[in-house]
Amino acid sequence: MQAREYSIETKDLTRVFRVKRREARGEKREITALDRADLAVERGELFGVLGPNGAGKTTLIKILATLLSPTSGTARVAGVDVVANPWEVRRHIGMVSGGESSGYGLLTVEENLWMFSQFYGMRGADVRKRIKELLEVVGLADGAKTKIYHLSTGMRQKMNFARGFLTDPEILFLDEPTIGLDVQTARTLRAYIRKWMDDHPDRTILLTTHYMYEADELCDRVAIIDQGKVLACDTPAALKRDLQEEAVFRLKVEGDLDPEKLLRGIAGVHRFTHAARDGHAQLDLILADENVLLPVLSGIQGTGGRLVSLEKRAPTLEDVFIRLVGHGLNEGGDAGGASEPAP
Amino acid sequence: MNLRREMKTFLRTVIGRAYPRVIGMRREKSWMLFEVLLPLLQVAAFVYIYQAIGAPPEFTGFVVLGGAMTAYWMNVLWSMASQLYWEKETGNLELYIIAPTSRMAILIGMAAGGIMTTTIRAVGVLTLGVLIFRVPMEVTDVPALVGVFLLTLVALYGLGMLLASLFLLWGRQAWHLANLLQEPVFLVSGFYFPVRALGFLVALGASIVPITLGLDAMRQLLFPQMMEGFRFLPVGTQLGALAVQAVVFLFLAHRALRYFEDRARREGRLTLRGL
Amino acid sequence: MTARVRGKETWRSLRVAVWLGWQVESNWTDPFLFAVYSVVRPVAGALILVFMYLVVARGGLENPLFPYVFVGNAFYIYVGAVLMGISWVVIDDREHYGMLKYMYVAPLNILTYLLGRGVAQTAIATIATAITLLFGVGVLGIRIPPGQVDWGLLAVALVLGLSALAFMGLLLAGATLLTARHNFFIGQAVAGALYLLSGVVFPLDVLPPALQWVGKALPVTYWLEALRRALLGEGGNEALRAIPTGHLLPILAGSTLALAVVSILFFRWAEGVAHCRGLLDMQTMY
Repeated sequence: MQAREYSIETKDLTRVFRVKRREARGEKREITALDRADLAVERGELFGVLGPNGAGKTTLIKILATLLSPTSGTARVAGVDVVANPWEVRRHIGMVSGGESSGYGLLTVEENLWMFSQFYGMRGADVRKRIKELLEVVGLADGAKTKIYHLSTGMRQKMNFARGFLTDPEILFLDEPTIGLDVQTARTLRAYIRKWMDDHPDRTILLTTHYMYEADELCDRVAIIDQGKVLACDTPAALKRDLQEEAVFRLKVEGDLDPEKLLRGIAGVHRFTHAARDGHAQLDLILADENVLLPVLSGIQGTGGRLVSLEKRAPTLEDVFIRLVGHGLNEGGDAGGASEPAP
Repeated sequence: MNLRREMKTFLRTVIGRAYPRVIGMRREKSWMLFEVLLPLLQVAAFVYIYQAIGAPPEFTGFVVLGGAMTAYWMNVLWSMASQLYWEKETGNLELYIIAPTSRMAILIGMAAGGIMTTTIRAVGVLTLGVLIFRVPMEVTDVPALVGVFLLTLVALYGLGMLLASLFLLWGRQAWHLANLLQEPVFLVSGFYFPVRALGFLVALGASIVPITLGLDAMRQLLFPQMMEGFRFLPVGTQLGALAVQAVVFLFLAHRALRYFEDRARREGRLTLRGL
Repeated sequence: MTARVRGKETWRSLRVAVWLGWQVESNWTDPFLFAVYSVVRPVAGALILVFMYLVVARGGLENPLFPYVFVGNAFYIYVGAVLMGISWVVIDDREHYGMLKYMYVAPLNILTYLLGRGVAQTAIATIATAITLLFGVGVLGIRIPPGQVDWGLLAVALVLGLSALAFMGLLLAGATLLTARHNFFIGQAVAGALYLLSGVVFPLDVLPPALQWVGKALPVTYWLEALRRALLGEGGNEALRAIPTGHLLPILAGSTLALAVVSILFFRWAEGVAHCRGLLDMQTMY
């Protein structure tokens, strides 16, 4: 038996989806959702997978949670091969998919949670205590006796979150756990995730998100993924450190500006993104060094634009992502994306 | 995990999954109308057909018994087999799959919860049918009757589990398959007339659905004289065949659930919705 | 809102609903399997009856009652299809596709939308009914000489009867807005009750008097009587023999109209209750 060095380990993990001929309608008939992904998550780590919508995060979690087989490559969870022995893997894992609704509408919140606990063979007294604790944590204690078809989307998600932690799994997969939640609730859940990890140092969480703040705040290490490929993997600090030698600026400009035309020709502009904000054009730039700023400002002036504000920023994970991929987490790609919630 | 713990989890899973069914019935009482009273009227319609064509009173008994057993077939089709399709569409199936518990336990839980309505419906049809239409029954061998009934249920629910495994793979096809298996099985299993009327070979083929043998045997035990002209197989043979079916179906269901789950995982269908 | 805008909205609702209904019904498999599936179920239902006659009735299929019963049974295919086709949409859109709430916030005529969703199943039922009747004529020897068929009566009765069924479907859709999803669907359950009360497979005369009166209050009873008279020359019901054929259609039209009024009023009431209690997006699977 292999030594259990890692809680989660993938090698060349690939998943290709084939589209039926009649559904493809002339488009390509294969979609590579995960492309030779290599990951190694240590026991006790809170590991983040950061990427835009459609990057392959959910596919990765489905494979690790034994819901989907890889097309090639291997994945081991708790030292067990997910393809060869999914049954054994399930004894070690739990999963929460954000934005999903599960359970039965006619049952109350606590009845739904109790039902799921029974699939894990939990004892009645333990379950009741644990449900009470978790509902307090997620702020659903008052709704314990509410039938879930009366719950709002956010409240259902809180219940779903509580379900994931109910069994105190050894390895927990959190797939976009705070998506669609209000800022306060998201903050509460993030705080609980961190606390749970501190209270249970032998547990492991793999968390996917497209909110860079979430990954930055919570995760011990982060893998950045786009179009199925793992582009980088390190601690948030180390990832950002790679940008230390470059200069990161945010500019707000007024006037009729074509950023593509303006910035493409300037040497030393490594990456940029632009968006319309409050009637201004907001430019996020990663420059080779601060000296490159001068030709940028001249260019703006030359096109008749007026600089409203200029800010030199410490690099964020978003900048790391832009540096690696060429566009922001919530733009480009194939699925658009939700905007980043305030921390 | 030791055997004792496995057994406990199995039992807890059965109870856990049966719970929504039982509570659901308590909270939504409209099932009494849809699942008991209205179906009773449909059975009555078949009784009146026989009365209209001057059939002997035992034929009323055939229909009433068939009508009662219909409830179990419907329960297997809609509460068990195709239920997995709905569970997939509502996001519960993936949670069942990743739980370290037996799929059979989840299916048994679904069935056990549904059996309450089913049995109420079956007993309702049987009681009211016997009382209203004055069905002349002659119970010849109570242990054999009970044995046939129980074995029929075990074999039938085994078949239900086997069908459920297919539904792990399929989407709306499964739904339509369940639909398709309603009336044709009513026909070939002889729900409303002795199956022997279809000819020996057709009856033999129809015996793949355990209710065919169960119904025929129960009719022989309850209406011995009238069934003399329509006997398909001796009761002893049918009992034996039902026992074999019970074992075979449960075994196949166990294997098939695993096989189809693996296949669905490979093809990415376990979590694919809206198909 | 002007009548023109309302008319446009109604037409759009119907068009979209018919298209959507057809997609939902048909695109789960290839056309061949779909055709087999659409026909096997109703034909099996008809064969149950055939065997019941073969086993018991004096003279088997030559029994004088058989053609009436067979024709009633063939057209009964519509009852299940239309009732299910319309009422099931509420469950399917609410709990499966999660679309019911969006239908309500869209500028759609919801009544027309529901009726339109039932069109696909009605079309499939038409094919199944035709095949069952052809099977009866070709294989079972039921005599329906085309020259003796009252085609006008058949056409008018068919249109009126299908309208009555559609409004009944709407009534059940209203009930479904307020109830949970059970294993036995309301459309099927009510269709089963009509099987008894409308004298589909036996003359109404066989029923106890109280049930006969219930049967006489249902448009489906007159519909089937009119169809039998159109195809076979006689209805086979002693209890309805006194009604001249010329009176059958007005009775059918009148009862359909009454049903339409009751159905629409009930549906609107149910809709109001569903809005009040927040039931338009409930999940009731258990």
